[in-house]
Amino acid sequence: MLTLQKLITELTAFWEGEGCLIEQPYDLSMGAGTMHPATFLKVLGPDPWRCAYVQPSRRPADGRYGENPFRLLKHLQLQVVLKPSPPDVQEMYLRSLERLGVVLKEHDVRFEEDNWESPTLGAWGVGWQVLMDGMEITQFTYFQQAGGIDLSPITAEITYGLERIAMFLNKLHSVFDVPWSADTTYGQVRHRDEVELSKYVFEVADASLATLLFDRSEAEARRALAAGLVLPAYEATLVCSHQFNLLDARGAVSATDRVGLIRRVRDLACACARAFVARSEGAVSPAGTRSSAPPAAAEGTAPAQPQPAAAS
Amino acid sequence: MSRHDFLLEIRTEEIPAGALTGARTDLLRRTVEALADEGLVPEASQSFATPRRLILWLRGLPERQEDRSSEVVGPSATAAFDAQNNPTKAAEGFARAQKVEVSELVVIDSPRGRVVAARRTIPGRPSEDVLAEVVPRVLGGLSFPKTMRWGRGENVFVRPVRGVLALFAGRVVPLQVFGVAATDTTVGHRILADGSLPVTGAEDFLAKLRAAGVEPDGEVRRLTILESSRAMAQEVGGSIETDADLVATLADLVEWPGTVRGSFSPEFLDIPEEITTTAMRVHQKYLPVRGPAGLLPHFVAIMDNDQDRKGLIAKGNEWVLNARLGDARFFYETDIRQPLDSRLEDLARLTFQDRLGDYRQKTGRLQDLAETIAHVVGRPDLVEPVLSAARLSKVDLTTLMVKEFTDLQGVVGGIYARREGYSDSVWRAIYDQYRPSSSSDDPPREAAGAVLSLADRFDTLVGLFTVGLIPTGSRDPYGLRRAAFGIVSIATSRRWRLDWRPVVRKAISLYPHASGGDGEKGEKIVSDLEGFFAERMKTLLERRGHAHDEIAAVLNVGIWDFADAADRAQALSQARRETDFRTLVLAFKRIRNIVGTDDHGAPRQDLYRESAESQLAADFAQARQALEELTRSRRYGEAMGMIASIAPSLDRFFVEVLVNAPEEDLRRNRLALLAAIQKEFSHLADFSEIVVEK
Repeated sequence: MLTLQKLITELTAFWEGEGCLIEQPYDLSMGAGTMHPATFLKVLGPDPWRCAYVQPSRRPADGRYGENPFRLLKHLQLQVVLKPSPPDVQEMYLRSLERLGVVLKEHDVRFEEDNWESPTLGAWGVGWQVLMDGMEITQFTYFQQAGGIDLSPITAEITYGLERIAMFLNKLHSVFDVPWSADTTYGQVRHRDEVELSKYVFEVADASLATLLFDRSEAEARRALAAGLVLPAYEATLVCSHQFNLLDARGAVSATDRVGLIRRVRDLACACARAFVARSEGAVSPAGTRSSAPPAAAEGTAPAQPQPAAAS
Repeated sequence: MSRHDFLLEIRTEEIPAGALTGARTDLLRRTVEALADEGLVPEASQSFATPRRLILWLRGLPERQEDRSSEVVGPSATAAFDAQNNPTKAAEGFARAQKVEVSELVVIDSPRGRVVAARRTIPGRPSEDVLAEVVPRVLGGLSFPKTMRWGRGENVFVRPVRGVLALFAGRVVPLQVFGVAATDTTVGHRILADGSLPVTGAEDFLAKLRAAGVEPDGEVRRLTILESSRAMAQEVGGSIETDADLVATLADLVEWPGTVRGSFSPEFLDIPEEITTTAMRVHQKYLPVRGPAGLLPHFVAIMDNDQDRKGLIAKGNEWVLNARLGDARFFYETDIRQPLDSRLEDLARLTFQDRLGDYRQKTGRLQDLAETIAHVVGRPDLVEPVLSAARLSKVDLTTLMVKEFTDLQGVVGGIYARREGYSDSVWRAIYDQYRPSSSSDDPPREAAGAVLSLADRFDTLVGLFTVGLIPTGSRDPYGLRRAAFGIVSIATSRRWRLDWRPVVRKAISLYPHASGGDGEKGEKIVSDLEGFFAERMKTLLERRGHAHDEIAAVLNVGIWDFADAADRAQALSQARRETDFRTLVLAFKRIRNIVGTDDHGAPRQDLYRESAESQLAADFAQARQALEELTRSRRYGEAMGMIASIAPSLDRFFVEVLVNAPEEDLRRNRLALLAAIQKEFSHLADFSEIVVEK
């Protein structure tokens, strides 16, 4: 029996062994591990980067009140980013499966084309979904662009859907039966969360608050950028993104609004990305050794970016 | 000169199945062309592809290029040599520049008189050197639907290149492809084989690949899949539905094609079959198994493996399919709790197109337009079913099922409408509204479905044309060419007399932003669409086997009615086989040259002088009357015969009558007669376009 926590421990240990820094989950709501600054910001610029972490991912529209055995409002992703993408990245990935006890010859493992695009992040990549015996267990992407910026070097991103893998390797028919630990199921830990969060987003959440938070966070992101503060600006962008998802799940977004809201989030994400690159270029010290760049360098570049027209 | 084999293998990470065939054939064609430009032509050539490698095998390629002699022309002989026939400074400079001795210069005759020339023999280069240049260039120039960068981001290809094998005459060709240097080793299957394999030549290479779990030949993989899946279906008393596209795709997803059979829970056979088979074919790429009495709860899946050692692969695929079908059943049961009728309001939340409003509005337009079309094609009896179908045509976009199974839009609506007891013509119209979905798909089965499909396509085409989203080049994001082809193909297959202009005008009037004003904008759209439809009509006639000149002849006189144009093309190609068209066509070409498109007025009887002239006029008058009747009753074959019947008198006219008569009035009258014939006899086809031997 492969428990969820064992799955996490093994994969984390594996990637640590491949030279990855083990980051922690980001402390904000987000729809995917890609939005963690350790991916979205770190794929930018020239510095090498290897990192792995678990990120809880919230997708309000996927809430099913804990009644659907396959769908979760909040699920766990294990995200690996390798920059530049190593030549043996596929073999590394296959070894990570072996680490989980998978004997590759006893299975059918295939890489089938599946490209990825995130309109809210201004990001896209080329890659595959990895299928094991017909089941999609991983998304494998070569990032080509993030925040509207062409990337070089290229990052390989590997995203494991942890609940799916645990369900599949244990051949269970409900995610809630997945063993979290030896004596506790996923259902015991999370089922109540799913019921309550689903009820909240579909029936209770105050759409006007979400709209307010969206608007104010957007303004806050702009203010932070104007002050040369990339990470706070990006955090505010993440708030916008999550509030948009909430509004969308609530059915409070008309089709026309939708396009505009997505564009506003993307504009922020792109502005953050540009500011991040400008800050790195202006920084004297190697990446990672200073918490922030000299304010003058950041201020000199961020406001120079064209300000997108305020959305009506 | 001795010849040797060239073997090239480019190993990559998994290339998308859809890009494989193009990559394989382009690599072959372009390499052979590029080598031919260098004077190197192999005796035979072939290429193979798997998801992880592109392979090129050129047999009997010359060892080196032939030596070539080149001649560079220099100064004139008089400038190059003085009176004593000694070389001048000019000759010396030229020889130096050409890297030859002055004594080697020759004097030759040229268009500008006698000049000196430097002759040199350029030795042919070893093929190995040429290959080292050509191969990287060809690979860099291959085009793919989507490319990517990787690693340090310096190179662009369909997927990262991880290894290169290049052998000529058994030796490694010193070339580099995207930063990867060629070697004489390959690797086998990702999972079934280990380590690198040294290769001595092409036969050795192919044999070693096959022994290492790689079948290089896609056709062999395809046949293996087809045979073993048929056998597996037979074991459970069923057969595989012929799905050539799917099997071809499957063959390009694996290096070693194995198949496994799995089963799903029989309770899922209660879900409408279209949904179950879509989950299998489209989502999971499985081949459904059908028995004499219908779908069986089995499927065949492929695997990139030689065997299912512990049964885990079959079990895993079964688990996935059962989960998918469980999901589908959940969608189905949830969806049918909300009647279609009550979903209409939700359509207001779905955008049809940014500038063209939502699907609630589109539904309203479809109802109006479908009614118009029913009247235009003379089927007022269809108004009622078509209005019901149009009203509900888009509501399935709000169902969970269509959100998950997007390919089933329309079909899901049809299935749900059938469940709710709508009449056959209504639910089938909804079901078939997106047909034909491709140029090989059938049009809607019934007339109401055809009307609805036409209405949807006209609305989309007109809407996008009104906001300027007209397809250009290869870009057609809204599928407008397909939409227009669907219109042409529905109208012709039903042989509906459909003048599309009033339909388009009606469609324009239903878009608030486009209607109103002086209608000038609307007429611009009509004329833009005419050209757009003509292209699709041309494609359709080509597929029906019509010659290009017949198509041009028919399209030249207008295509307001597609079925009519198709009939005229049909009549024309038949008539030209049965009747002597040569005389007629030559006469019409002559008329076109003489009279052009000017208006020459009506011919006057009192000005005919020659008997050939009077006879032509009389024959014309007679044929014209008969032609009117034949055209009205659309007996185009006979009409073409009638037109051809005046060929002898036209011929006689041109032999005996001088059109360019010295008398001004006679000349004008003769031109007027010919112009009238051209005008009256060109309603069905422009005969001057027909190609005949002179």
